[in-house]
Amino acid sequence: MIVHVLIFGELARELSCKEIAVDVDSAAKVRDVNLALAAKFPAKSLLFQTARLAVNHAFTSPDSPINATDEVALIELVGGG
Amino acid sequence: MSVAIHIIDGPLQDATNYGRQNSLGQTATNIGATLVFEGVVRALEGARHIRALEYEAYEPMASRTLAGLAQDILTSHGLISITVEHSRGHVSVGERSFRLSVQSAHRKEAIAATDEFINRMKCDVPIWKSPVYS
Repeated sequence: MIVHVLIFGELARELSCKEIAVDVDSAAKVRDVNLALAAKFPAKSLLFQTARLAVNHAFTSPDSPINATDEVALIELVGGG
Repeated sequence: MSVAIHIIDGPLQDATNYGRQNSLGQTATNIGATLVFEGVVRALEGARHIRALEYEAYEPMASRTLAGLAQDILTSHGLISITVEHSRGHVSVGERSFRLSVQSAHRKEAIAATDEFINRMKCDVPIWKSPVYS
C-alpha cells in the first residue's frame, strides 16, 4: 500500500516537497514506514530511520500498525518559541 | 486550574494584564505569582542577519500537543493557570512570536514550570520556524 508522509520546515524545503509517498506492505507497522523513507533517501537514512512519526495527529509507537488512510506526519527538527 | 492555547496568525500583540484573574477571566484569590515569558525574533540567526521568521504549525496536532503539555505541567507543578500564545506565519525581527503566562501561588513553581514547558515544547510540539534572510 502507499502511505503519504507529510514533512515540514527545513526538511521540506531541502527536499522541495511537502509530502513523501512510500510503498509498504499492507501489514506494515510505523517502523516500516521509517525504513521505507530511509531507503528512498539514503543520504538522510539516519534521520528517517529514527524520526518520530505522528499518525492521525498523535505520536505513535514504532510497533503500531498503519493503514493507507492514516494521516502520517514526520515530526522532527521542530523549534517553536 | 486552567489551560488556554492560542495559535495566532502573525506577531503577538501586547500581553493581557490578568491581575487576580486567571486566563479564563475567573478571579483566583490564591494567585501569588504571574510569570510572563515572551519570545522575540532576534536579528541574528547564528551569524547571519535575518528580516523575520516564518512559523509553520501542524494543526490540530500543534494545539493538542501544547494543551497536553500545559496540562501536564500545570498538574506536576501545582499551578493555577497556563496560557500559551504562539505565532503562525510571518513574524518580523523585534516582534513577539511566543508568550507563556503562568500563574501560581508562589514564584518558585512558576519559574520552574516556565523553563520545563519551553524545553519540552522545543522537542515535542510540531511547530517549525524558518529564517527569512535580509
